[in-house]
Amino acid sequence: MSEKMFDPRKTFGKAVTDLAEADNRIVVLSADSGKSSGFSDFMEKYPERYFECGIMEQGVVGISSGLATTGKIPVFCAIAPFVTARPFEMFRNDLGYMNQNAKIVGRNCGITYSDLGATHHSLDDFALMRMIPGVVILAPQDPNEIIDAVSAMIEYEGPVYMRIGNPKIKNLYERQPVVIGKGRKICEGDAITLITTGSTTAFAMEAVQELAKEGVYVEHIGLSTVWPIDKELIIESAQKTKRVIVVEEHYVKGGLSTIVLEMLNENEVHVPVIAHGIPHDYASNGSYEELMSYYKLDSKGIKGIITNFIKEDK
Amino acid sequence: MNKKELKLVANNIRKAIINGVYAAKAGHPGGSLSATDIMTYLYFQEMRIDINDSKNPSRDRFVLSKGHAAPCLYAALAYKGFFPVEDLLTLRKLGSHLQGHPCIAHTPGIDMSSGSLGQGVSAAVGMALSAKIFKEEYRVYTLLGDGELQEGQVWEAAMLAGFKKLDNLVVIVDNNNLQIDGPIDEVNSPYPIDKKFEAFNFHIITINGHDYDEIESAFNEAKRIKGKPTAIIAKTVKGKGVSFMENKASWHGAAPNAEQYAIAMEELEKAGDALCQK
Repeated sequence: MSEKMFDPRKTFGKAVTDLAEADNRIVVLSADSGKSSGFSDFMEKYPERYFECGIMEQGVVGISSGLATTGKIPVFCAIAPFVTARPFEMFRNDLGYMNQNAKIVGRNCGITYSDLGATHHSLDDFALMRMIPGVVILAPQDPNEIIDAVSAMIEYEGPVYMRIGNPKIKNLYERQPVVIGKGRKICEGDAITLITTGSTTAFAMEAVQELAKEGVYVEHIGLSTVWPIDKELIIESAQKTKRVIVVEEHYVKGGLSTIVLEMLNENEVHVPVIAHGIPHDYASNGSYEELMSYYKLDSKGIKGIITNFIKEDK
Repeated sequence: MNKKELKLVANNIRKAIINGVYAAKAGHPGGSLSATDIMTYLYFQEMRIDINDSKNPSRDRFVLSKGHAAPCLYAALAYKGFFPVEDLLTLRKLGSHLQGHPCIAHTPGIDMSSGSLGQGVSAAVGMALSAKIFKEEYRVYTLLGDGELQEGQVWEAAMLAGFKKLDNLVVIVDNNNLQIDGPIDEVNSPYPIDKKFEAFNFHIITINGHDYDEIESAFNEAKRIKGKPTAIIAKTVKGKGVSFMENKASWHGAAPNAEQYAIAMEELEKAGDALCQK
């Protein structure tokens, strides 16, 4: 694959702007967050469909709902905790309960706003959004998937939460359309099933390659949809490898690992599952690379966790 | 509809509120009765809506931000013809389409779900913005409680409405002066309400919210105002129409017992008879 790096926010903003040319139902809302969400071109091309509201995320979620009732497709992007934790009740009542066709995007997700402190981290957004019945949760894993997830999100009728990061990312694999609820088997293996989502997938792929050099063949499943979860793909793999590790840039409680554990339990697939993510506490500050290394979420850290798990599980 | 006809509809709505709340043994009669004349005027005179085409994109819209006045909204919708009046007796019951607070997914004719205070103005602003941008002629009305003005989200949306010059938006404050814990100016006073909305670039009209001449003239004036949203501060009486409920905060969220129910219905029947004889 090409080593070319892309800014996830610009990639996202461009994808929305491109779709807006043919679809005038698409409107963009900003809470003083438009330019930093990649909407500079949108503002220029479609000023009449761009609503700058100022710093009022709760109100903007309600305004999105009002716009959705008139047949528009509102897209609202801001820093992840400010569109999830802060307006949680508005999201639940105005978007979830009403099944509104609104698209909310949390950028600078996880700990990508590493040195801004815990107020700017979103380590609970999967947990929160999943508690709202009917909300689809997307976490695209590379630039092409961001573009395709935007298409899937706009095509889908109903409320969607999508999380994207901040650091530049590269394409990881051959492009495939994003289908809501479907994951992707990134590589086959028999030692363990590794499940990742969002930006963590890139780090995990490096770890998987290193492990293969040591003769440990990991079956790697990458999920661009966190909810609804791809049961079929995960169950089939878990039954084959007999052990699962979920790695995510989210709290180890309430996120993807919890979803996988619940799903396997409901389907009576009883295999050991390791949840690897950020401990349930307020994360520290530092550079993104430092934090990912500190929490063992970089490729070296993920490789170490998998090696230990396999050793202990023998 | 003439004023007398409107008053008769309002009287029926008041009876339906008491019937529904009595049947449910729960509900919010006080704030439903204070809002009855405003909602009657909106649904039976002001708003361009068609019960046979309830999702028409060009229709006027109403957001009941004070969602606990659902018994009044449901009664207005039933008498308008969106669903049978008998349904009103299923208020809050298992399987009924008339939930404790308005839900767009369940009840025909509702433009917005509500229930958590402070959220309605935002939704109404979204609808009004959509009309402006896409050159639609419809108008958007939202009714909120005066205690509800304590919610910060109201002012987020109000700031944007004024800034965006949403002259297709009318915010009506049901100013009955009472909230659960007592008079609003003893709990956390939102007064002066008019000056606050004025500061947010609204056109202000203050009326008696039970006087149909004043209600009519306020809504007509709002339509003439260009470049500004309108806030109608409607001075009302909580529990209006049922003597023992009037101006009592305790009737915010309580159902009458059998004896109280009989008195309330007798008073409303008499009021209805008096209107017919006029």
